[in-house]
Order: sequence, then C-alpha cells, then structure tokens
Amino acid sequence: MTKAVIDQLRNHVGAKNVYDEKEDLLVYGYDATPEVSALPDVAVFPENIEGLRAALAISRAEGLPVTPRGAATGLSGGSTPINGGMVLGLTRMNKIIEIDEENLTATAEAGVITIDLFNAVSARGLFYPPDPGSQNVSTLGGNVAENAGGLRGLKYGVTRNYVMALTGLLADGTEFKTGGKCVKDVAGYSLRDLLVGSEGTLGIITEITVRLISPPQEKRTLLASFRDIRTAGEAVSRIIAARIIPATLEIMDKMTINCVEDYAAIGLPRQMEALLLIEVDGHPAVVAEEAAGVRRILEEVRAAEIHQAKTPAEAARLAAARRTALSAVARVSPTTILEDATVPRSRLSETFAEIERLKEKYQVRVATFGHAGDGNLHPTALADERNRTEIEHVHAFFAELYEKVLAMGGTVSGEHGIGIAKKGYLLRQFGEGGMGVMRRIKNSFDPGGLLNPGKIFIDDASSTKVRTEGGLHA
Amino acid sequence: MPESSPVGNFNPADAPSYESILQCMRCGFCLAVCPTYALTNRERSSPRGRAALARAVAEGRLEFTAAVGEEAFFCLDCKACSTACPSGVQVGTIMEFCRSQEQNFHPPSVPAGILRDFILKRMLPSPDMMETSLLPVRLYQRLGVQWAVRRLGLNRFLPDTLAKMEGILPTLGRPLRLNIPAVIPAQGKKRGRVAFFLGCAMSLVFPDVSRQTARILAQQGFEVVTPAQVKCCGAPHLAEGDRETARRLALINLELFLGLDCEYIVTDCAGCGCALKEYEELLAGHADHERLRLFRSKIRDISEFLAEVGIRTEELKEVPLSVTYHEPCHLVHGQGLSVPPRQVLRQIPGVELREMKESNWCCGMAGSFALKEIETSRKLLERKLNNVRATDADVLVTGNPGCHLQLAWGVREMGLKQPVLHIVELLGRALPK
Repeated sequence: MTKAVIDQLRNHVGAKNVYDEKEDLLVYGYDATPEVSALPDVAVFPENIEGLRAALAISRAEGLPVTPRGAATGLSGGSTPINGGMVLGLTRMNKIIEIDEENLTATAEAGVITIDLFNAVSARGLFYPPDPGSQNVSTLGGNVAENAGGLRGLKYGVTRNYVMALTGLLADGTEFKTGGKCVKDVAGYSLRDLLVGSEGTLGIITEITVRLISPPQEKRTLLASFRDIRTAGEAVSRIIAARIIPATLEIMDKMTINCVEDYAAIGLPRQMEALLLIEVDGHPAVVAEEAAGVRRILEEVRAAEIHQAKTPAEAARLAAARRTALSAVARVSPTTILEDATVPRSRLSETFAEIERLKEKYQVRVATFGHAGDGNLHPTALADERNRTEIEHVHAFFAELYEKVLAMGGTVSGEHGIGIAKKGYLLRQFGEGGMGVMRRIKNSFDPGGLLNPGKIFIDDASSTKVRTEGGLHA
Repeated sequence: MPESSPVGNFNPADAPSYESILQCMRCGFCLAVCPTYALTNRERSSPRGRAALARAVAEGRLEFTAAVGEEAFFCLDCKACSTACPSGVQVGTIMEFCRSQEQNFHPPSVPAGILRDFILKRMLPSPDMMETSLLPVRLYQRLGVQWAVRRLGLNRFLPDTLAKMEGILPTLGRPLRLNIPAVIPAQGKKRGRVAFFLGCAMSLVFPDVSRQTARILAQQGFEVVTPAQVKCCGAPHLAEGDRETARRLALINLELFLGLDCEYIVTDCAGCGCALKEYEELLAGHADHERLRLFRSKIRDISEFLAEVGIRTEELKEVPLSVTYHEPCHLVHGQGLSVPPRQVLRQIPGVELREMKESNWCCGMAGSFALKEIETSRKLLERKLNNVRATDADVLVTGNPGCHLQLAWGVREMGLKQPVLHIVELLGRALPK
C-alpha cells in the first residue's frame, strides 16, 4: 500500500477516517469467528456516501479487495479481510433518517446499532422485531448483509422479513435503490432479496428501510427444565405441532445453563440437563390460551419444573441471559467454535440424539443452545486452538453432524451466513449447479470480483492467496 | 494440555497471562459499554481491540509499540467491559499489566521519571510526606490566594493540567489520619468491632467525609479501629504501572489489618476497596494464600457493609431531599456493588432516589486520566452531568473521592445546581446529633 494511495484516501474520506498503522490494521482483521483473522492494508470509515464512493473508486483504481464491516460480531468470518486490501467500515454512517408513522416504516443508515433503532421506534409506540443476540452492538447493515435472526425469529421471522428497501453502491460506483415503502411491490426481479444475506459480496448497502409493526400487548415468559435434553426437543416439536407459535422458544443444555449462570447469577437450575425459555405474546386472550397450551404440553412430557416469570423485569433478565449464552460458554475454554445447524422442527429430538452420539464418537466437549423453535441449533465446541488434534476432532464432529443435518432436509446456516467458515458445507447443500447460478449472479453485480472475495464461494481464485493470520499456528 | 503461556514480545516481569488474553472470543459485547470507544469509534480504543493488541504482542506478531502503551493509558480502567463480558475477560487488568510493561519498553524521560518515581515510590507510600506536601496548598487556600486566583481568572494562564488541578481541589481541612482517635467506642448495643481503612485521598481531601463514616459506624453500634500506620492501598501504583511498590504497600497493609482482630475492614473509598479486594491476585505467591483469603473476606465498602449488617433506622431524622446516584466504576464494575448503595439511600428517611440515565458510566476522572487527557475527560464529564441535570434532583451522591472531585468541579464549571455529596455525608445528616 503506497503512501500516495493512503493520502488520496485521506483527502477524500477525511484524515481521521483512514487507518494504516499496524495496531489499527490488526484489530480490523477479525470478527467473532474463532481461528480467523487477517491483516488488511488499510481501514476506511466513510462518513457519507461521497466518501464511500471515493473509497470504492480508489479500490477499483488500485485493484484493492473491499471487505465491508459493521460491528464485526459475525460468526462465519464474513467481515474478515482474508485477501487483504481495504476494510470498509460503515459504523460512521449511523443516522436514523426517518420514522414514518403513517407508513409504519423506519429508514436508517447502515451503521446504526440495532438496539438504537429498536429503542427509537419503541419510543413512538412501534416495534422492530429482529433481535440478534448481538443487538446491543451489531449494526443494521451487518444484520441485513448476514440476514441475521434472533430470539424472536420463530414468530416474527428474520431480518429479511422486515427489509422493504435498500440503497447502496455497487463495486463500479453505480448507485442502486431497490424496493420502497409500498406494502405490495412485485415489480421486476427482487434485487432486495438478493442483497439481503449477500454478505457484502454484491454491493455496499448504505441505507435501509424496514417495516415496523405494533408491539404485542402482552407477553408471558415460561422457563421449563428437563432431566433429559431429548425430552426438551420433544416438547418443542409438540408445541409446534399443537399450532402454538411462541415468539421465543429457546433451548440451553446443561453446560450452557452453568456458564450462563456463572455470568448472570439469576438462579438457573444448574443440575438440569436442559432448559426451554418460552415466551408467548400478542393479544391478552390469545396469550392466556397459548400459555395454558404450552404449560399443558410441558406437563404431558413431564418437564421437571415449570416456572413463570413474575415480572416483566424477570422475563427481560431471562431473555438477556440467553443472549449471552455463546460468550458465557467461552468462559470454559480458550476457543469456542459455534455452528448454526438448522433442521425441520419435527427432527429436533433426533438431532439432539445425534449430537450426543457424535460427542462420544469424537470425544469433544460441546455446549448446545439455540432457537429450538426454529430448528436452529448452535452446538458449540469447547476447545483450545493450540491443540491441533483437538481442533481436528471438532471439525470432524461438525462435518459428520452437517451430513446428518443435510440428510434430514436441514440447512447449514440458520442465521449466521456462510462467510469463510461454511463454504464447504454450502457446496454440499447446493451442489455445483446451485453454486454456479449464484456465481453468475455475483459476476453480474461485481464483475471485477472486488467485493468481499473469498467468501461464500469455494472456487474463488483469490482464495489461493489467503492471508489468514490465526495466531501461533499461523 | 497445550504448552504454558507464551510471553512473546512482552517483558517476562509482570506480563499479562496468555490465558487471560485468550479468554476473549471477540463477541464485541464490550463495545457498547466502553467510554473511550464511544468517543473515538476506533476499534483499538475498545476492550476487544485492546485485548487483541495484547494478544498480538503475546504471540510475537506485534512489538510492544508506543501505540500499545498509549492505548493502555487511554483505557480508563473503569472495568465496565468486565461487567459486560460474559466470558469473564478482565481487559482493565490486562491493561494494568501493559501499563507496567510500558515503563519497561518506553521509560519516561529522566526528569519525568524522577518525578514519577518520587511520587510513586516515596511520596504516596509515606502518609507523612503526603500530608506535608499538601501544606502549601492549605496555606494557599487559607490565605485567600485561591480565591484571588479563581476570581481574577489567573488559572487560565497556568498550563492546562495545573489549571485543572487547581480547579479540582476543594478547600482542604486538616488531614484526618492524625486526628482520628485510634479507637472509637460503639454507641448503644454493641454489634461488633470493625477496622476502618482510611484512604489517602479521603484523609487529605475529604477528612470530613471520613469523619462521618467513623461516626456512622460508631452510631450503628460498631467499635471503630483506625490504624494511623495505614499505607496507601496501592491503587495509584497499579494504575501507573508500578506493581512493585503496589505489592510492597499491600504487604504492609495486609499484616497491619490482620493484626487488628476485627471482623470487618471497612472503607469509604471505592478505589481503595477495589484495590484491597484484589490483594489476593496482586500478592499471589508473595504472601500466604490463606491469609490473603481471610483478608479478602473482611473487606467491605461502607455501603456494602451497612446493607449487609442492616441499618438501625429507629433514631434517624428526616432528610427531605431528592437525590441522584452516580456509581463509581470501582464500586459498580470493580466490586460489583450496584444494589447496596441504593439500599442505603432508600433507608434514609425522606430521601427520594431519582435514577439518572447511564448511572454506571465513568465520569472521566479515572485516576490521573482527568489531568492527562483533559479534553476526553471533559467530554465524559459533560455526558455524565447532562444525565444528572435531567433528573432535576436536589443532590448528586457518589462514593469515591476521585468521582467526587471530578463531579464537584464539573458542577461548578457547568453551573449545575446539585451539590455533590458522599453517600455517608447524606446518611450523616440523618444521624442524631
């Protein structure tokens, strides 16, 4: 990276928005994915669309790969600059532009923190449901790029279900706008749907319009504990089969319960094998009926204990504790490798059994938690990346688990995206044919291959010069 | 198991442990609570970024560069990230080690080093010297020079740091350490015997506050033992990267207080309390583990102590005030004490507690940070005081001398109406004469 290019960037984007010192580059090379980090050549944080346009122009002129970055809380390596080049941070484009109460929409820049948007619309009596575990930190742009899920995903869906319009720039500098505030809009190809979940490989999203709804009038939170995790899985399948759709239906296994309790100290039952956190919300009459229905099923399957949160504050504490599960599990070992396996909900109990079997077979320690109601599990291996044998066992464990998951009609990612962590699994899920179509779409958006190279596609030519710098074993 | 911790490019003496650094899984939960990251939006000024820099040094991917040292000192060590971190990473502590490393890799210039060594190794360890050194300040105040300097705006001509120091110091009374009785008898039915750990700043700058602490303890039925041989708790040394002197002082205090035969060791300084509770880690390998554990088990912040033993409220008078409470980092994050101070406030008859937004957000004092990083400190203080103003409470209450100085200064500078009180001053008003 020559000084002239840095100077050029500084002139166009502002001196304080361009970093090229090694200390800065080191900390823009990672996200929350273990074992993955790389050094970019420069990190650029435009404050507006002009700065962004200039940064992209310079990247084109210099042939610099561009890795877009929100808060880097991703769990599949999506915002790691594995081919070097430019990290393009969007956290300084962080204005909430409009809350349109007549159309029930909100429009915000990509760098707005998710919880800030949630609170802003909440102050107007409105509700933005997507709530990824990282909502206090992650950006709306990052949520859209990764199509983030969350605890309320079961009833309310994921980020995609709320995106109405997107604005941004393609790699060649073309501005795009797709979608709008119309509730019904079937005009042309849905470029919006292509961009949601595109992981920064198709374009740089700068502005997002989301759909808002009315907040539920009432909610009720139940905590059920089980002496056996498969019974918990059965309870989930039965609740869904009874046509009850809770807002939240989360599972935690014993290891997770204990780690979360170590951190949050809210009195979770440490000796239990599994917990279900269930929240039903909506119209008071419906809530009462659904809560009773859930309770009946829990009794039928013989949950060891059923506890109902007494106050909204207690309910909030329980949900907040669940949000910390992954990071709390990270207490146990230096390296935590989390997966995002998702199965049809009728197969949950079977999946738990499979996880138990594979834990034995590969002798790995695994904590499992996740959005059971969505069939979206996060089996998380507890390992030490300095112990390469152990890490190999972990990867073998996941490879076999994913075989099973795909055989059950599952998917390799419920909400974290593909990034670099799941490229191989994705190929297995889609086959050469499916990947070929996606490749042609990628080429039509970004023929120069500048945007986030090395992600999603395993056949990326540039991946031969991956500059991963993963610590001692690099 | 894998090989033991590499020190990499750290100096082996007082390097952070590799395990403590590896514990960070980079989830970023800390970003939302870090005051310096909120100001800069620069990853390396965030806890996650700082841990990553330390890791890079430990793994030999980065030298201990000037920028690493800068970030160590730019960290407020407010420990808000420790509270937020589900994985239990202590970035504040890792940065304390890095401050110590900084002295090795980039020692200060000769005159600055002599001054630093004099303050840390000679003056702070010696209460006598501390008390003497403040004599000129007291004279300066007593003779009305301070009034003149402030009135005439002369402090504008002092260098920024001196000006802030001048502005921040309240009128000083006589140091409490030499005036407080060695033993104060319990009043009413005796409930126990406690040692009072009198902090340097409390004795020198807020003697009246600590006098209230002792008075409250006695009124509540405790015999109060205050040893005049007490040494500085070592917190300033840890903050400045002088772990060696910190250990030396800690050893003296450890033996002194364990020799007093008291059930509890109470302090009204959040910073001291935090440091005392960490002697176990600081002195690991330098003192008997059982004695360290025993010492640790006795330490209580005054609010923690009162909440634990229960306040005798029958004789308390009405204090008809609305108050808002600023949580000192060293109480809420350092010691995890958020509820007890509020319990104490709620038990004072007539007091109405009005919560401010972000009550657990650093006020910007952070040891010597307020004097070194004047602009950053001021921005933090403004954020804090805007939240105070919004409550429209009559009084601003806190529990740490550093916060107290900074807030009182800010209240004057920004023209707020709220006087700043230590929690024991408020409780003191409710006590019978």
